[in-house]
Amino acid sequence: MRYDSIIIGGGLAGLTSAIRCAEAGLKTAVISFGESSLTFASGAIDILGYHSDGSVVQSPFPAVAKLAESNPNHPYSKVGVDTLKQGLHRFCHHLDVAGVPMASQSEDNHWRTTALGSLRPAWLYQPGMMPLPIKQPAKGIQRIAIVNIAGFRDFQPSLAVAGLKQHPAFQQARITSKTITARELGLETRNPFELRSIELARALNHADNFQRLTNALGGAAGSSDLLIIPAVLEDSLGRSRIPELSQKIGCQIMEVASLPPSLPGLRIANALKRQFNKLGGMLIEGDLVEKGNFDNGRLVSIETHYNKDLPLYANHFVLASGSFFSKGLLSKQNRIIEPTFDLDVEAPSDRSLWASGKFLDSKAHHFIEYGVSCNQQLQPTRQGLPIENMYCVGSVLAGFNPVAEGSAGGVSIATGFHAAEQIIAAYQACAGN
Amino acid sequence: MLPNKLLLHIKPAPVIKMLSLTDTTFDNCIKCTVCTTRCPVAEARPDYPGPKQAGPDGERFRIKSPGLYDDALKYCTNCKRCEVACPSNVHIGTIIQKAKARHDGFKQGPREFMLSHTDLMGTLSSTTAPIVNVVTAMKPVKKLLDKTLGVDERRTLPKYTFQTFRKWFGKHAGNQERFDRKITYFHGCYTNYNVPAVGKDLVAVLNAINIGVRLTAKEKCCGVPLIANGFLKKARKNADLNMTQFAKSLDAGSEAVISSSSSCAMTLRDEYPDMLDVDNSAFKDQIQFVSRFLIKEFASGNKPEMKPLNLKVAYHSPCHLIRMGGVVHTVELMREIPGLELTLLDQNCCGLSGTYGFKKENYDTSQKIANKMLEQIKTTEADYIITDCESCKMQVEMNTDHKVLHPVTLIAMALV
Repeated sequence: MRYDSIIIGGGLAGLTSAIRCAEAGLKTAVISFGESSLTFASGAIDILGYHSDGSVVQSPFPAVAKLAESNPNHPYSKVGVDTLKQGLHRFCHHLDVAGVPMASQSEDNHWRTTALGSLRPAWLYQPGMMPLPIKQPAKGIQRIAIVNIAGFRDFQPSLAVAGLKQHPAFQQARITSKTITARELGLETRNPFELRSIELARALNHADNFQRLTNALGGAAGSSDLLIIPAVLEDSLGRSRIPELSQKIGCQIMEVASLPPSLPGLRIANALKRQFNKLGGMLIEGDLVEKGNFDNGRLVSIETHYNKDLPLYANHFVLASGSFFSKGLLSKQNRIIEPTFDLDVEAPSDRSLWASGKFLDSKAHHFIEYGVSCNQQLQPTRQGLPIENMYCVGSVLAGFNPVAEGSAGGVSIATGFHAAEQIIAAYQACAGN
Repeated sequence: MLPNKLLLHIKPAPVIKMLSLTDTTFDNCIKCTVCTTRCPVAEARPDYPGPKQAGPDGERFRIKSPGLYDDALKYCTNCKRCEVACPSNVHIGTIIQKAKARHDGFKQGPREFMLSHTDLMGTLSSTTAPIVNVVTAMKPVKKLLDKTLGVDERRTLPKYTFQTFRKWFGKHAGNQERFDRKITYFHGCYTNYNVPAVGKDLVAVLNAINIGVRLTAKEKCCGVPLIANGFLKKARKNADLNMTQFAKSLDAGSEAVISSSSSCAMTLRDEYPDMLDVDNSAFKDQIQFVSRFLIKEFASGNKPEMKPLNLKVAYHSPCHLIRMGGVVHTVELMREIPGLELTLLDQNCCGLSGTYGFKKENYDTSQKIANKMLEQIKTTEADYIITDCESCKMQVEMNTDHKVLHPVTLIAMALV
């Protein structure tokens, strides 16, 4: 079986690459073992949230452009700010078509609120995630009600209250937490503590239940300026129902991503897959790439768990297998490896350098920066030799710290898009000849 | 070493009752719940707790006390979409099926017997097919089956063929020996008793690439409906017989055992070891779904001459084929047909799930699951819907005006 491009990994970076390739008319396949880490994601897209000194980035694009001077090895420095912008533009376009519109506050970052009540800088948000301005996040907000459905374990309003109160801007605000009971909502079929976000969303989507929820939330809102609820509302197509609810209640409502499965993250995953399918792409789920066949500095074909004797050939490959969590990287006793192809990895062999002494000390651990080392074109090496038809994208890459920088989303989209553009350019050059 | 006489006097150590944890794969579950987001049953009926709760979570409780077994596990259709979604390689569907078997979670009345013993019912029905087909299509009979057995009267029952595939093949078997290369075809119950055309098409396609077809001397139902209804002993018996037959035919020079039903193929290859503890490791790789075998041949240059087929088709991917990683093979196979305009339907479950949707208490769930697929098919301007699974075919044909074909039939139509 032969493809123009094969993408290994079906997360944000992989699907961005795949959609771009398919859109350009390339015969493209994505191989994905299990659902990606988008299931765990906030559903907002961050580009660059913090400078290297830890201060907050107000406007991410100039900051990304400046990064090239101080950190030439950063994936953003290799890709460039124009590609980042183009990639984000296409990303928004595809999500828009697929029914998950994303918005930004012009060129500036905003604060997104986490389920623990902390604030994180991000650039794109979904309808229903109310963006708070970076400079004055609490502007116009005096009373906040944080509401949960009694028993729903993947969101703890008391933690959210405590978290939000720690932020200097919210010291003056009156923040209360409330719970509405499952009985008020007519959800008595099962114990509510067994229900996960997706199950609540399905149940609450019924007209009667939605009406009851509207009434209950209206009561809970009282005279609040802002109502914060977990992300458990969407229609059957996965579109947020917060704007509708907000209008009915007459109060600003913010949804925050709960513990997994995170609905806002899933919306992005599903929307990207729908787009890829619509563009004629081949999504192979539940299969694992086990081996690459290399020849003369090229990856010729790959063998998967179900296709050991039937290799998949492609002219170009994109590795988007993720970081440690997604098993794109593995840690051994004294080295970090890329397990599928044994690509060269940038990481010190001294294990004591991998993590800081304290598990939680507000500094990101160094191991998060480790990954496959790549050239300016995002091409990796293997035993020191470059592989010309392979690109690495997303968090398998070395040279950036998504946690410390707040850059996971932007790097995934920018590198995924960049790899695809290079593959397309190679095809166009061939066609030109 | 103690003399034997003494050994007899040593009492065995008291048996400490330990948890029988031969399979602890449920421990790999990281509780991300992504399986539940992909479960068609959980979506259709909120009283089903979903694969995470029913599978790895529930298993922890059940191994402590059988009293904690949840009766809601009966709603699982074993579609295995949860296993495809799982990033931690937990075989959730299998955990649920095994738990059902261990805790008497299967209802096993005459209806379950009738629905699951497909080869027995096929043998009985095909000999009197013209009568059976008329009778089972009659409203009063369907009402009677509904009231007495609980087979939903709104279902169209499968039609039987008078001449089984085996009988037809018997007349053509001699012809097959002229080919140097041979494979063994596991036709399965549906091709044998209901739609022999798929088997005939498969013979035509393989012959066109110079490969002869053989059948095993004996063939029993793969066991998928038996597993789904908890007749595991019977399923194991069938598996043993089929495995012996496969070993014989592979010894006799067949290159592979091919199935044209995605659920049969998955059962023979994956469910025998995972679900039934029947070891097929000696020739697991040789048990293949037909598309996989064909695309490998085509890829190596052994491709039949095909004429353009100026048709619009929409492909529905069956759950069990998705689980076996086989959708790519069928899609690539169809892409080899010149002139064919192929669209891929979204990967939604058809909801029939073999015997599941025939049961009165599951009819509504089954139809509710089918809705997404049916909505998309109803707006599709395709000449044919293509799918590899007989269960999906029945569901689409019962609910829409579309005719459903097997991908192998499509290839056969393109043969020059």
